[in-house]
Amino acid sequence: MTRDLLIVDKVRKSFGGLIAVGGDAGLSFSVPEGTFLGLIGPNGAGKSTTFNLISGVLKPTSGAVLLDGRDLSKARASDIASYGLGRTFQTPRAFPSLTVLENVMVGADNQGETLFSVLRGGWRSRETALRDKAGEVLERVGLSDRIDDVVANLSGGELRMLEVARQLVRDPRILLLDEPTAGVDPSLQAKLSRILVDLHSEGRTLVVVEHNLHFLLQIADSIVVLQNGQLLSRGTPSEIKSDEKVIAAYLGADHAA
Amino acid sequence: MNTISQIALTVVMFGSLFSVLTLSLNLQYARGGMINFGTVAYFATGAYAYAIVTQEPPHGLDQYLVGLDMPWWAGFIAAGLAAMAFAILTGWPTLRLRGEYLALTTFAFAEMLNSLLVNERGIGNGTVGLANVERPDANILGLSENVVYALAAFLLMLATAYAFRRLLASPYGRAVDAIRDDEVAAQAIGKNIARLRFQVFVISSMPIGFAGALYAMITTLVNPELFTAEVTFFVWIALVLGGERTILGAIIGTMALVGFQEAIRAIPFESVRAAEIAASAEDIVTGILFIVILRWQPFSALARRRQAA
Repeated sequence: MTRDLLIVDKVRKSFGGLIAVGGDAGLSFSVPEGTFLGLIGPNGAGKSTTFNLISGVLKPTSGAVLLDGRDLSKARASDIASYGLGRTFQTPRAFPSLTVLENVMVGADNQGETLFSVLRGGWRSRETALRDKAGEVLERVGLSDRIDDVVANLSGGELRMLEVARQLVRDPRILLLDEPTAGVDPSLQAKLSRILVDLHSEGRTLVVVEHNLHFLLQIADSIVVLQNGQLLSRGTPSEIKSDEKVIAAYLGADHAA
Repeated sequence: MNTISQIALTVVMFGSLFSVLTLSLNLQYARGGMINFGTVAYFATGAYAYAIVTQEPPHGLDQYLVGLDMPWWAGFIAAGLAAMAFAILTGWPTLRLRGEYLALTTFAFAEMLNSLLVNERGIGNGTVGLANVERPDANILGLSENVVYALAAFLLMLATAYAFRRLLASPYGRAVDAIRDDEVAAQAIGKNIARLRFQVFVISSMPIGFAGALYAMITTLVNPELFTAEVTFFVWIALVLGGERTILGAIIGTMALVGFQEAIRAIPFESVRAAEIAASAEDIVTGILFIVILRWQPFSALARRRQAA
């Protein structure tokens, strides 16, 4: 058995006394290294909140998140990112004053970003390599003909791809994608699906939140189902498809047979 | 003719000097996303640091406590360091604040400093200030002192513009832009936003301190009345006039504002009454000009064209 890269351990989060994630016992699940985990659940199940708790945008009320054995509860979001966790957002976020290429280049962990390096001018030599690397990643997500474009000219789907590219250039150990297919046209969805399958086969660890179950059940190798902020079920896609609790949660109890 | 060249010299001198402040503000606000409404405090810190380091020890009626009697260049360096130190002191507790909160806090810090300078006479003789501030012998190459100081201010402006340009054209500038655009997304790619913002704030205070020292040399006087919130607002108006974000825009805006004020002041008046009218007319016309420029933004368009070329 492979070791767990990410462990969510009895995590609870409440907003103003109202428990959003974790219920009474806390939410627990683990992501073994190399897994492609799908995180699904009806609206309001706490999927995005769980992502925010893992990536440090929100801090758990109680419980712990461990990345490769390291406790993230006290870490800043930027530190968690530099430990090797990459994530995208439900509403795609880009840097509008930067070009498409710069949006990706800024993602790379860059020694040139220190004041010392600016003084010495040492960043110039690294910049070419960085540009090449960003170019490769943009090619991979199908944005190579847009590199000098401004972000405002990208479609919603292209923005999502840009976000993926900005994370890939950092070579994260685990990549969390929040609804990558939302607002993305079918041809781009197919492309995204191929990219995710490729990343998975390269041994990367992926956690993907999706509303599009059809998309996710085809390519993920493990599924976690959330309901009301709590773990409802976990299993392979085929197990989940036939799980009555899951069907009931999505369609209402009447349809569960 | 002589008057016109004198006005031109004054515009270059003070225009360049205040451009240093506008450029620093441009880095803090347009690029760093930080609203500093206490700009004058860093300027005052530089001017007072210069005066204290270079002046003779107190004697006679002096109420100030420290005068180090060191050469002008030591005072100049001390001015830059003092402004940075004040930025560290004020930036550390406040930079976590956003937008208007930061604006209010920096404004409050500047008012506190002003009040301290007025009331704590041990620093700089309170409201009397420090007169006869020492300045280097500017009689080089047979140029008049004013020309030398205008040149010095111009060089300080160029050096500041060059340094900031170099900083912003690097990956460091790219990271600063990313943080201003979207803090959450910047954190998700490992940018330590608190550290970068703090660095930008402190770095950009250094030239303001240098400008303060040069201002003290030019006026040979520092007192709290010279360093009120009016200076802060003047620099903000200049920044807005020039259009945000570009270095050239910041300089053009400042030069235009200083030029306009000097032109009004140069009008010869026959009577005190006429001068009074002109003084209030200056405020009114400044206001109208401000609105007109905001509407058509000629300077920012000019700066953009230059940048595109």
